[in-house]
Amino acid sequence: MKKQNDAARRKLPKQAVSRPGKVTIHKVPTGVPGLDDILGGGIPEFSLNIIAGTPGCGKTTLAHQIVFANATPKKPALYFTVLGEPAIKMLRYQQQYSFFDASKLGKAIRFINLADDVLEQDLNAVLEDIIKQVTAINPGIVVVDSFRTVVRKAMSSAGELEMQSFIQRLAQFLTSWEATTFLVGEYVSDEMRDNPLFTVADGLIWLSQVTERNSVVRKLQIIKLRGQASVPGLHTIRIGNSGLQAYSRTLGLIGSKTKPVRRRRLSIGIPELDQMLGGGILEGDSLLVAGPSGTGKSALATQFIAEGLRNGEPGIMAIFEERPEGYTHRAGTFGLNLKTPQQKGKLETLYLRPLDLSVDETMQAILDAIARIGAKRLVIDSLVGFEMALAPGFRADFRESLYRMIGALTGAGITILSTVEVEDTFTALSFSHYTISFLTDDIIRMRYVEIDGQLRKVIVVIKMRGGNHSKDIREYVITDKGVVVIGPRQTDYVALTTGLPQRVGQREEAAPEPKATR
Amino acid sequence: MSRATPKMRNFAERLIAYETKENNSSATKRPAAFLVCEKSRSHLATFMGINGFRALLARALVLANAEVAWLRAVHVKADGSLEGLDELAAQVDPKEIAEGSIVLVAQLLGLLVAFIGENLTVRLVREVWPKLSLSDL
Repeated sequence: MKKQNDAARRKLPKQAVSRPGKVTIHKVPTGVPGLDDILGGGIPEFSLNIIAGTPGCGKTTLAHQIVFANATPKKPALYFTVLGEPAIKMLRYQQQYSFFDASKLGKAIRFINLADDVLEQDLNAVLEDIIKQVTAINPGIVVVDSFRTVVRKAMSSAGELEMQSFIQRLAQFLTSWEATTFLVGEYVSDEMRDNPLFTVADGLIWLSQVTERNSVVRKLQIIKLRGQASVPGLHTIRIGNSGLQAYSRTLGLIGSKTKPVRRRRLSIGIPELDQMLGGGILEGDSLLVAGPSGTGKSALATQFIAEGLRNGEPGIMAIFEERPEGYTHRAGTFGLNLKTPQQKGKLETLYLRPLDLSVDETMQAILDAIARIGAKRLVIDSLVGFEMALAPGFRADFRESLYRMIGALTGAGITILSTVEVEDTFTALSFSHYTISFLTDDIIRMRYVEIDGQLRKVIVVIKMRGGNHSKDIREYVITDKGVVVIGPRQTDYVALTTGLPQRVGQREEAAPEPKATR
Repeated sequence: MSRATPKMRNFAERLIAYETKENNSSATKRPAAFLVCEKSRSHLATFMGINGFRALLARALVLANAEVAWLRAVHVKADGSLEGLDELAAQVDPKEIAEGSIVLVAQLLGLLVAFIGENLTVRLVREVWPKLSLSDL
């Protein structure tokens, strides 16, 4: 008998004995840039979701965006309005957004007002009306805005059990009819504990406004989402002419490509400095150039970008202090033409001096530009300016977000040069005000030194994670060719790093730049 | 400011003419403006609720009253329908009835345009009168 069974089992086709496949939950796109990444791909199909938050957070706009992104005449959307914003005003305001497609109204998107049911009848009548409309129209998306007003009215006359039963029946019906549902409502976080609605819901999207000193930023949190992994935490959202835009805390960089195994050495555009770096900066490295004002950090950054362009590597310059015209003009004085690559779409200069922007929004602008032109080199000039451009409340997130962005971009093989202004103390050699050296693979320090009655400049490579580098302190000048490293290692002085060196050599040397005669 | 602009009046005239033609064979000879408002009511109440429609029609009536005196005898009922128009039809000169009807419908359309714009207003009207040719306002 055992033998027979074994034989029978062997004859079975492979698929029949294998474990049955799990159900595939399709994801409904939200139409909100950045939000699908946060949700883990979109809203699970046939799920019941709550869009909650305080007034003015963008709940209705979010619901509209989802509706307009998905509704078609074959699979329409039903938008039930209740006692919240009158439908006529809703249309008046929502049509201002670019996602609003008037041609969808009527056949693809239908607005139905339930106010009379709610005001004059009980929960059963409300449910019956919803069932009647859904059965007749067979929608793919259903929105009830505001569901809170339905509940509030019902709770004044019905008991909690009746309310729970209503929610249960509504959820069951809408899921059975293969509708993805969004219940919009004004809630405060304390209400989450005892409200049966939050237990029944498959997804809970919480919108809020965070005030920090004088700045206000909208935030979004996925508190609950059954069946898929969403990105935890508070994500920034902004409402603009196109509706909502979401900025994931991870900047959508999870799972991005890793560094190439064999990395090239990239020229920085200054041959002597390339030598000091052991042959150039490693592709996919993050290089920090630190130095006080006027030492030529921006000039060096421009040379880095221009060298990349010469080698066919598109670049992005995210500048926070100088105006783009000034940058392009100065590059021109060094004989570097930035205008042509800009016109050809090989170089983008982002002038980011936002007010009240969160760090994630700013970084998203950089990421978008990188994706747009396929940039291989990125300059951030400077980190101090970047931080200052942010609303005060978001400076606390600066290092965390910068860490994520730099980590992900260098991981994808993009080479980053960031500048940071540091004050020369003449007693020590600091690299940065921030503890940000952990962000960088390589550090170059530029500083002033007083020699022979002149304030001269020296450069040194402090750190190179990917290999050996020169330890020499070398003098440099800024000429009409940009930063030019001159002279060999300085041996005539000690304590150069303090800025106040002492002459120990006997050699008579010529000053790199002419001294005043009188 | 009157919302019954020449453009709205022209639009209203076309709707009224269409309804008049549609109801020529009808036994009850109600003013066409009544029929236009009635058809709008059933459709717009689904979209904006009976209270929403009633408020809009009441506002249109007040605006129309300023231009057509006899419309003061007309009222909007709780369900958003008009009352008083049938009675007046027997007393007032048909030309004046026609003029008042145009003004009332034009004010209603003008209000819709003011709130939701021409594009959406035309779309709503087209849903109520799908056979009516409406290339523009």
